Amino acid sequence: MALPLLLQLSWRNLWRHRRRNSILLAAIAVAVAGVVLLNTMLRGMQADMENSIIDNLTGHVKVLRPGYLEDPSIERGFEVAAGWSEALPADAVAGWAVRVRVPAVIMSERETRGVQLVGVDPARESISFLGNVTLSGENLSGREDRRILIGARLAEQLETTVGRRLVLLTQGADGRNREAGYRIAGIYRAEVGGLEKLFVFTGAETLQTMLGTAAVTEVSVRLADAADAKANEGSVVAGLVAAFADLDVRTWRQLEPQAAQMVEFADAAVFIYFVVIMGALVFGLVNTLVTAVMERVRELGMLRALGMRPWAVVAQVTLESALVMSLGIVLGLVLALAVFALVADGIDLTAFDDSLASFGLRPIFVPVLRGSDVALVVSMSLALGLVASFYPARRAVKVKPLEALRR
Amino acid sequence: MAETVVRCQGVSRVYNDGAVPVHALRGVDFELAAGEWVSLAGPSGSGKSTLLHMIGGLDRPSEGSVVVDDVEVTALTEAQLADLRLRRIGFVFQAYNLIPVLSALENVEFIMQLQGVAAAERRVRAGEALESLGLAELTDRRPGEMSGGQQQRVAIARAIAAGPVLLLADEPSANLDTTTTKELLDLLQKLNQERGVTILTATHDPMVMQYTSRRVNLRDGSVVDGS
Repeated sequence: MALPLLLQLSWRNLWRHRRRNSILLAAIAVAVAGVVLLNTMLRGMQADMENSIIDNLTGHVKVLRPGYLEDPSIERGFEVAAGWSEALPADAVAGWAVRVRVPAVIMSERETRGVQLVGVDPARESISFLGNVTLSGENLSGREDRRILIGARLAEQLETTVGRRLVLLTQGADGRNREAGYRIAGIYRAEVGGLEKLFVFTGAETLQTMLGTAAVTEVSVRLADAADAKANEGSVVAGLVAAFADLDVRTWRQLEPQAAQMVEFADAAVFIYFVVIMGALVFGLVNTLVTAVMERVRELGMLRALGMRPWAVVAQVTLESALVMSLGIVLGLVLALAVFALVADGIDLTAFDDSLASFGLRPIFVPVLRGSDVALVVSMSLALGLVASFYPARRAVKVKPLEALRR
Repeated sequence: MAETVVRCQGVSRVYNDGAVPVHALRGVDFELAAGEWVSLAGPSGSGKSTLLHMIGGLDRPSEGSVVVDDVEVTALTEAQLADLRLRRIGFVFQAYNLIPVLSALENVEFIMQLQGVAAAERRVRAGEALESLGLAELTDRRPGEMSGGQQQRVAIARAIAAGPVLLLADEPSANLDTTTTKELLDLLQKLNQERGVTILTATHDPMVMQYTSRRVNLRDGSVVDGS
């Protein structure tokens, strides 16, 4: 049996009921486009969530003293030996930062708030959200800068502005409270608004002096390329374990397990969306194919009377299904890509900023189109089309040729 | 003596679909020699179409033997029957039964495509068949764009182009007017006499019977005369 003959018959049969098949094609196209676009949103959300966690001073891998997470005080600090960073594989790392981070209370003339006071080397903070903030005023000049950076939302709460002084209260290395006044160098605006209320930055040496210690509380490492991040992670972790033998070396997934689970859930959600949307479509496809077959029982019987084998009839019905599905997939992909092109630069969701911030999402939502997701939708849709054709094809060959001719 | 193309011995067919068994054929003996044109005649329900279907491998007898071109049809599997129909038997149905999405030329080529005939050869054979039946101008037309008579001629072209041993025609004139029927019968006669095509026709049309070389009358599933 020549495949071209079957293809010819199947192709032409598609155009016998143009309206019906056009509706079916439109339904498949919309469903495929819907799944592909939902996947881009999901992947965008996944990437956004992961980046937010990593940007949020976490990095891909962090070194901490055991017990710091339960009691994040300077007593749980550690000293960093010179040359420790040589243990890191250079190609795998985008950057690293050594920080001093303690809980503190910040006071203005009018308000008092609890914050995380972070001593940084500003030159190294390109690996965190601090490297990407919008500043009014000035940035910190270095590790020894005695001024502070505060977030815009905190500034609103404290009713203060650039150049004013604020008082910070925290516990020193000796267990006694330390209090000092700091002038505001700049006020930052972060993409995730919630961070503006949480973090206050000053020079690392300045904070160490205030706390009365040379210790730091964390070493944060950002991996070079997100695409290879997982592959590089192992070698970076191994390097850090070697450099900091008595300390905890943890990945961002270990540090933020709930968020990591949400990120991983996106992989499963791709399948769930597909099954829900395309699963519903299958009923329409089966119904249309069964109708097309039952309308042509006599014709299919005649083909068999003329000598066409039953498997060839099955192949013809299956090809019709595959052709409809393929056309629908192509149209769906064109539609999805057209819509994606419109929103590829990002969707402005600033109106929902507070809600998004609670999920660690940025207000400008950027969908992400992955070739592997598209390939998955295409292959699974085709497979679904073939499965859907099984019942109609079985109906087509169940009727004997003579019976069919008598109808 | 001419070679026997069809030999039926003691062929019976009982349908048990309802409460009461229906005897469509009762011990029919029948032979058809190469080059003959025989009509199976009889009123509706006499069993002529049933016998035609047995010979064409579309149905199986409840009892008896059907041999077509030296092949015992009753012993064949469904796949072998399909192969028999494809390679040895040409069918002309009452309702033309052309494939609506194919042109006249493509319809005629269809069986040859199933047979695996090379594209160039089947195009030549299909063209010749259509031309010999006066359809050279209609090769690109689809069945819906042709009259009943034209469609029936395409169906005959399809049947003969594939080179069958036997041409079976079930009520070929049923849907045609007198003039078209005569044209069709003249064609069949030409095929029979000039090309030696063996034809078996099931009909109750007296006009068809006049053209055939022999007539076998059936009544209530039995051959009454002419076997």
